Amino acid sequence: MKVEDVVCTFCGCLCDDLVVEVEENRVISVENGCTLANEKFIGDHRLENPIRREGGRWKDVSYDAAIQETAEILLDADRPLLYGWSGTFGEAQSVGVHLAELLGAVIDNTSTVCHGPSIMAIQEVGHPGCTLGQVKNRADVIVYWGANPIDAHPRHMSRYTTYADGFFVKEAFKERKVIVVDVRKTESSAVADEFVKVDRGGDYAVLSALRAIVRGKRDIIPQQVAGVTREQLFKVADICMNAKFGAIFFGLGLTMSRGKNKNVRNAIELTEELNRHTKFTISPMRGHWNVYGSNEVFTWITGYPYAVDFARGIAFYNPGETTSVDILKRGECDACLVVASDPGAHFPRACAEHLARIPTVQIDPHVNATTHLATLQIPVAVTGIDAEGTAYRMDGVPIRTRKLFDGTYPSDLDIIGKIYERVKEVKRS
Amino acid sequence: MRGVLNTGRTIRQGSFVERKNSPAYREEAASLHMNEVDMLDLELEEGSHVNVRSDQGAVVMVARPADGLARGEVFVCLGPYANFLVNPETHGTGMPDFKATPVTIEPTTEPVPTVREIMERYGGVGYEG
Repeated sequence: MKVEDVVCTFCGCLCDDLVVEVEENRVISVENGCTLANEKFIGDHRLENPIRREGGRWKDVSYDAAIQETAEILLDADRPLLYGWSGTFGEAQSVGVHLAELLGAVIDNTSTVCHGPSIMAIQEVGHPGCTLGQVKNRADVIVYWGANPIDAHPRHMSRYTTYADGFFVKEAFKERKVIVVDVRKTESSAVADEFVKVDRGGDYAVLSALRAIVRGKRDIIPQQVAGVTREQLFKVADICMNAKFGAIFFGLGLTMSRGKNKNVRNAIELTEELNRHTKFTISPMRGHWNVYGSNEVFTWITGYPYAVDFARGIAFYNPGETTSVDILKRGECDACLVVASDPGAHFPRACAEHLARIPTVQIDPHVNATTHLATLQIPVAVTGIDAEGTAYRMDGVPIRTRKLFDGTYPSDLDIIGKIYERVKEVKRS
Repeated sequence: MRGVLNTGRTIRQGSFVERKNSPAYREEAASLHMNEVDMLDLELEEGSHVNVRSDQGAVVMVARPADGLARGEVFVCLGPYANFLVNPETHGTGMPDFKATPVTIEPTTEPVPTVREIMERYGGVGYEG
């Protein structure tokens, strides 16, 4: 059976034009997908049933026993951390936030090691963004700053920018200028009209220089700024100021390097300066398919987008204190529920070591690095394959993911909902 | 050799991200991309094993030449090998310095650990399957 208009649940592009062929409980072919989508849909290897660590060995357990034990671990903890959430759908995220409130826990999503600093900057100076449709149809200048879409978001260029013809941009490849700013050459910089190579840690200075040029202060720019020549800075500023509609997309090259949230703030303020000359927008290249959704869901329930601490009975947010890496580094949490992410692989060593010291429960379809650190893992259906729910694309557009067949696994919502009910029963008794 | 470790996504890392215990994932996640002149200096060939050390510890990876990196700059895709070396300090932002870890690199004949072995070093119990 061929299913059309399938939504890919890999990266923040949430491409919704895949054609997937399904045979019983298996995907056998994918059309229109990138390499990542093909691997996601076809190379699907799952953990078969819940597993529990007993001493130095792993044993199979039932779903009911795993759910009961998870509830007990969370209820016994003084400072539980509920981490992950960007690889599941909004309805499950929502129950996760209510569970955190009931437990007095900290709930954090993967933005914490991704675009968390971007959110901090947006809270300071706002977000002059737009939808990807606007970019596709109007933008004649695209800037990728500290981002490598060919590797991380493989269809971003073909669906929305470099190669995507739009309503007002009839021949995109000829009419759009693409600028890539990075500390190293990448596949994406190789296809750019202009590659600006910045010295490591020099993004803030280069953004400041561009702001000065856009403000008409060319005379104060030195011969070189963080490895970029004055001439190239002038050229880039002129391309941007002469655009009819420009769009900056930035990646973790800004959020993870020196300056972090202040780099992003400077990029937003450059966008503001450019808007004195023309129309310019800026947007983060969100990584996980529903990381934007986790920010939306957390915010509409608690008022804060990530790193929300309910220990006081009310929602409290303070990046650097209530963020997962800091909590784990300090050895502060005494239990952790990991949902749809892999901190064992993606957190610094010291944080992963703490996960091995405390009871850690993982809810995830696959065996990953965190599996080896956990005390319990509960496999679930993969959203977009055998579960469905709401996700938010990187530009904030909600898209309903689809179920391709009825599988045998429960969804994230089924499992987290049952854990929530058990915790509620105990709290009320 | 002293260098600075940068990390980021690669399409091969993304392709095998849901099979982190596979040889294909290990091959990508444990690849240390280096400037070719630096490799000559250390008498490394493509595929040579290197011991990479930071203030957090040391892990064995595989050297690979990369044309886009300056001397002293090395790149490893995000994952357990890079994160073995990353300091958890966030400077009050919640975000560690994933893009700039000072490291030293030297040739070695030691084997590259599996993801499972790294997690066992952290105190975990390896799961077969």
